[in-house]
Amino acid sequence: MNHAIISCLHANLPAAKAVLNDIDRQGIDTITCLGDLVGYGPQPNEVVELIRKRGIATCQGCWDEDIIDGLNACECSYPSQLAERRGHLAHQWTDDQLTDENKSFLASLPTSLRRDRLLFVHGSPNSQHEYLLPDMDAFAALERVETAGADILFCGHTHQPYVRELRDGSIRVRLQNADHECDQGEELTLPMRKIVNAGSVGEPRHGSTNATYVIHNDATDEVEIKEVPYDVGRTCQAIVEAGLPKVFAWRLSHGFEFAEQAEDASHVCER
Amino acid sequence: MIERWALVSGLLGDLEAYDLIQRDLKKTRGVTSLFVLGDLVGPERNCDALLDRLKNPHRGDLKPDCIYGWWEEQLLAERGFRGERKADALRLSQGEDAVNALLNTVNPSNLNWLASLQFGFIELDCALIHGSSSDVGDNLTSETSPLILLDRLTRLNVNRLFTARSTKQFHLELTGGGINSQVKDLNGKREQQQEVPKRSVIGIGAGLNYTLYDVGSDKTHFLTAGSKTNPKRKGFA
Repeated sequence: MNHAIISCLHANLPAAKAVLNDIDRQGIDTITCLGDLVGYGPQPNEVVELIRKRGIATCQGCWDEDIIDGLNACECSYPSQLAERRGHLAHQWTDDQLTDENKSFLASLPTSLRRDRLLFVHGSPNSQHEYLLPDMDAFAALERVETAGADILFCGHTHQPYVRELRDGSIRVRLQNADHECDQGEELTLPMRKIVNAGSVGEPRHGSTNATYVIHNDATDEVEIKEVPYDVGRTCQAIVEAGLPKVFAWRLSHGFEFAEQAEDASHVCER
Repeated sequence: MIERWALVSGLLGDLEAYDLIQRDLKKTRGVTSLFVLGDLVGPERNCDALLDRLKNPHRGDLKPDCIYGWWEEQLLAERGFRGERKADALRLSQGEDAVNALLNTVNPSNLNWLASLQFGFIELDCALIHGSSSDVGDNLTSETSPLILLDRLTRLNVNRLFTARSTKQFHLELTGGGINSQVKDLNGKREQQQEVPKRSVIGIGAGLNYTLYDVGSDKTHFLTAGSKTNPKRKGFA
């Protein structure tokens, strides 16, 4: 059976509607959302209410968490100080806009969802703020999936959709302890695991303005990355009219983050 | 001079054990540094005398470089040095009596010094941490999955991680292996191959059990203070 995974809607109502319409057209009725319903975009209440109305199973993203808990993450929340300053502006604006009811909904979201061997998180099983980038250390990536007890880890947060298969892994070790001479060594065979990043509905950074999401077939484990065009100009105009930083509209109209990349994917937020 | 480190942990306020280690080190050739990887304090005995000795070494003592461990973390949290966090882990695992016992073992005048201790040291290509890069309470042993050990090394980008939380002495070396990965995105597919870097995790022991590390030769020696163990028999390169 096909199911759809969406992430990082970021208060972009036209993009959210376009993606949900695309999913509906395919007759898929199981949708999982990996959080970040709000932040950056101009329609936080509308997007939260759309997700609530549709009853979409959702886990909490880093923006959703920060709106509830306050900005107490360490420096890893943003890839640069410039991005942090802009993010703080957007945080304050979003905080002012969101209704108490919608804040309560965000507060009620779990940090992960699990269906059998599938695990759904926003950033990583360690933290909503940790980036699992497509080229991060393969062993560290596998550790995130394996330690969480999953076969397939669905995540978002990077705004770059990808499917990463980790296979044919092994680690040879040699042990010496205080009581025994050095042993002959042994080899651990690592299991095959997969990380699926759903990209971003409301703030794509993969080089195109199209919203992205993924469809997973739980019988074949095949994953399809989907792109959906929507009225980007409409959202950009709403960003400017709302008084949010204009660079949010600029990057939405270009499809990539402005100048920054997370440098240390292995860093785990120490909040 | 070739460096030789002594690595100690889990003294739990035991000044006698520390004194025995210092005496051992005086008789051992070439020890250039003494690192005390946390758990200076514990709930069983008054710890002030040991803390005073660590802060004010006796003449002839190897000067210790200390970091904080799990017990210090619990104490400092309960005493309000960790924001809203309290000694939750201790309370959960050993109960309220253990928390109260811990509070009574350290004079408040020592708290600021304990709070000034760092989480860990990076020396050369080695990390010296009570638990791991993940958490001060991370209990790494020789039984821990090598995948997790490699992750803890990778997070710090070091070749050796000296850890103390487990109280065990072990030297687990990652000697080989690899992994393939395929990334598919909207630009297509790409294959990656990665080899296991030659890295090690070393458990340094606790209390009277301590470790010597020869930096130049990458050899570890597991020792017990006050015993007549020949370090050569337990060396590991």
